[in-house]
Formats: sequence, C-alpha cells, structure tokens
Amino acid sequence: MTANKKKAKPSTILIYVFFIFMMVIYIAPVLWIAMTSVKTRTNIYKDPFGWPESFHFENYVTAWTKGKLGIAMLNSLFVCVITLILTMLLGSMAAFAIARLRWKLANAFMVYILIGMMIPVHCVLIPLFVRFANIGLSNSLIGLILPYLTFSLPTCVYIMTGFFRSMPNELIESACIDGCSIYKIFFSIALPLARTGLFVTGLMSFIANWNELLLALVFISNDLKKTLPVALTKFVTPYQSNYDLMFPAIMIAIIPTIVVYTCFSNQIVDGLTTGAVKG
Amino acid sequence: MDKLLRNKKAIILFVAPAFILFTVVLFVPIITSFYYALCDYDKATRSYNFIGLGNFQKMLRDPTMRIALKNSMFFLVFSCVSQLIMGLLLAGLLTNIKKGRNLFKNVIYMPCVLSSAALGLLWAFLFHAKVGINNLLANMGIIERAAKGPAWLYSITGFITLPMWVVAFVALWQYVGQSMMLYMAQISGISKSLYEASYIDGATKAKAFRYITLPLIKPMVGTAMSLNAIGSLKFFDLIYSMLGDKTENLKMDVLATYLYRTGFSSKGGNHYGYASAIGVVLVVLCLLATAIINRIFKTENYEM
Repeated sequence: MTANKKKAKPSTILIYVFFIFMMVIYIAPVLWIAMTSVKTRTNIYKDPFGWPESFHFENYVTAWTKGKLGIAMLNSLFVCVITLILTMLLGSMAAFAIARLRWKLANAFMVYILIGMMIPVHCVLIPLFVRFANIGLSNSLIGLILPYLTFSLPTCVYIMTGFFRSMPNELIESACIDGCSIYKIFFSIALPLARTGLFVTGLMSFIANWNELLLALVFISNDLKKTLPVALTKFVTPYQSNYDLMFPAIMIAIIPTIVVYTCFSNQIVDGLTTGAVKG
Repeated sequence: MDKLLRNKKAIILFVAPAFILFTVVLFVPIITSFYYALCDYDKATRSYNFIGLGNFQKMLRDPTMRIALKNSMFFLVFSCVSQLIMGLLLAGLLTNIKKGRNLFKNVIYMPCVLSSAALGLLWAFLFHAKVGINNLLANMGIIERAAKGPAWLYSITGFITLPMWVVAFVALWQYVGQSMMLYMAQISGISKSLYEASYIDGATKAKAFRYITLPLIKPMVGTAMSLNAIGSLKFFDLIYSMLGDKTENLKMDVLATYLYRTGFSSKGGNHYGYASAIGVVLVVLCLLATAIINRIFKTENYEM
C-alpha cells in the first residue's frame, strides 16, 4: 500500500476479516464436494479432507448411469421448463387483468391468489395425492407440474402486477386509439415492456421447482419419472452409503443452479427479496 | 378505451386459467384436507369414516407427535432468534463496507438457491461420526480418535437432542442469506441525512445503529421473522436428506417429516386421516406464529 493512500480504519479491517471468514464457511463446502467427488471410496474414508490421491473422473460417469441421473435430470428439466413457461404466461395474464383491466372483483381476486402464498404445501399433499391417484395422475410428470405451477403463480402475479401498474397510461391509450385489440396490447406492448419482471419470476419459479423435494417424493415412485432431488436421496440408504458416487451426484445436481446463480445473482437476489416481502 | 378495458370476454380469458388452477389444486384440496382430518381412512375399503375430533384426541396421547411438536417448536424459536441476530449482524456490517459488498452478499445468499436435498447429503457426511468433522478434530489433536468424538447425528440424549442442534445450525447456514438480504434492503432505504445529523450531534456508529437503524427496520424484522417461522414449521427437505428414514428411531421427527411418514412411508403409512390432522395443526401453527409476530412488531410507519 502506498503511503499517500488513506489508511484503513481498524474496524473496517476487522469487518473484512470477518467476511473473509464467512466466505470460507460458505465456499469451502462446495469446493470440498468438488474435490471429494473425484476420490475413490477408500480414499474418502482414509483421508476425507486431503487432496485426492488420484483423480477419478469416471466417478461421474458411474454416478450418472448407476443413479439414473440422466433420466432424472431430463425429468427435472421437463417439469421445470414447462412450469416456468406456464407460470410466466398464466401469471402475467392474471396480473394484467388485475392491474389494467376494469372489473369489480380485481382486488378480491388478488387476495384470493395471495392467500395461496401462505398455505404450506403439506396441507394439500394428501387430498391432492388421493385425487391424482384416482384420475391417473400419480407417477406422472403432469401431476407434478400442476401443483408446482399453482405454488409458483402467487409470486409471479404479485411481481407482475407491480410491473403492469407502473406502466404509463399513455402507452395503452395510444394503442387503443390506433385500434389495437386488448390481446394485442397485452402481447405486443405490455409483456415486452415487463420483460425484466418476467425474467425474474421465471428464474424464481425455476429454482424453487428444481429443488422441490416433498411433492416429488410423494407423487413419484417410478424410477423413470423421478426428479433430480428424489434421485439424490436414494444414494444414501440405511444399508449402504455409496459416497464415491454420492459426491459426483451432488455436484451434478448443484452445478446447474450454481451456473444460473453466478450469471444472474443480482436479479435473483432482488427478485427473491421482493417476492418474499409481500407475504 | 374504457370499453376495451371492460371487455368481459377478455377479462374472463385472462383470469380463468389462474382461477381454475387455484381452485382445483389449492382451495378444494384445503377444504378436503380439513374434512379428512376428521376422518379415519380405511385402507382395505379405501373409505373415509367420519370420527369427529378422534384424530386430534389421538394426537394428545401420541408420544411421537409430542416429539415432533417439541422439535418443530425448538426449530421455530431457534431459527427466529438466530436468523434475527445473524441476519442483522451481517446486514449491519455489510452496509458499512463498500468494496466487495456485492460479492460477500451473493456468496452468503448462494446456499438459499441450492438444493437442500444435495446440501443435506453433504452435511450428513461431514457430521458422520467416523469420517467427517471428527476426523478433522482428531487430526488437529482436539479429540483422541475420530471414533471417540461426539456422535453428531446419532445421539438421542437430552431434551433437545444433539442432532437437532446440528440440523438447526445447518439450516441457519443455508438460509441466513435470506434474512440478511431483507434487512439490507431495508437499511439501504434509510436516508443518509439521518445518520449525518446524528454524527453531528456526537453519536457513535453503535449508537446510531441502536437508535436509528433498529427502530426503522422494525417492520422488516416482523416480515423476515414470519418468513422464518413459516419456513421452519414447513421444514422438511434438509432433515429428510440428512436423516432419511432414521428420524423415527432418533426421535428427530418434526411435523413435516411425521406427516410424510404417517401418510406415505412404506411401513405403517397410509393413515391419511391422521396425516391430514397433522397438516391442519401445521397450518394453524403457521397462522398463529404469523399473527403473534405481527402483533409484536406492529409499528406505525416512520417517515424515512
């Protein structure tokens, strides 16, 4: 440090030391998973915290095939992407109706949707399971998409309503004068203008559903329909612990979220904060 | 224009999908759930026999239910208090530094978006009695041999067992980012001039925090705490992936895992009526916790 630079206060230095310590607590486990994922089983038991004796990248291949992670990843992707698209579409439609269209029950409808945000999924688990089993939706990915969609909608409606309300009135008025239909106003004026909101809600719905365990665990018992979190829990059973396969599997499960998070961390953090506050 | 925005057909078209979905997947099941809670499910005939409050009476005599309630309550209190302290501490310190604030913030928030199922497996391994942290402690000479260290996840002594504390701390690690973010958002909304005025009047940073920051973020404390409360009552993923089917033997059930076990586990499952009753207890607790917290932190809004 040069002499003419302002000297840092000791309290600031202390704060930095504290946060570097926090960083270690937060990053070390992830790095440690990465390191352990290329060890052999004996190596893990003998020296769980040391540098790997040799690198076994084939662990990933074994975990992928033995744990049926390929199909689980595809299932997760399918469920999450369909849910994401439908959430954005249905959610912004409802939000547009609440924020811009003129009808008496708009506020009542908003309350109806927002109540959904306070209901824990556990409460509807059993009736949904019974109903879905009766109509053949258990063990089907559609049976998973429906509740995921329902539980993703409230946040989306809430955030999108805010976006549509803040839109200038003149935009819609001038479109009216030009003779646009209400559908055209929605799809080619309102939606493109609110794309930041759409993006945030899409990300949030994707992350929440990518990690969802309870519903997936209850609704899906067929190996070919399992989503990633469910497939993960099968690596450790009371009778055997395949640690050499478990760590690569953990990596495979968290890498997509880490990549998405690193790219869009600011949007995600903002979105989740606004999404959470409404509650 | 008014005519266009009052177009009945368009309104119905826009609202109907979300409304139907909500009614069919959320509201009808909730009502059904309350009805099931008053029934006994007969596996053989697949029928529901109305037994009134029988399930709730059974609950009072059920030792596992008592454990689940105790653990959930512990979890609720622990997460509310610890998240409040840690979240405020992190947010307060972070708003005081400029360089690296974003980086620290994003890293601490990261586990919130990662799969609890995956992180649970990791922590279960780290707290494994022989190979995990005990091994590290043994290498550093704190304990004699790895096998002699505390059996982190397998001890069943004490009112609140050791595994419960471990899980609670892991949950704190994973979710403290959420509280931190909420507090940070609120703190950065406080006008700088308030602080400047207080410094001119001779206040220290600590005093400014106590007399300006704390009162002004009180409403957010209420919000963050009710989120924590609901989150900790719903708590399932982490404990399931860390302990799996062992929750029963270890007396580690919380409400959500007990609900899952009574309703769906391979052995002794399918008690849909009883499981629904647990669900009802869960919802009532959620509403109660939110109401109490909002009561405590109810404040008039200050001008900021």
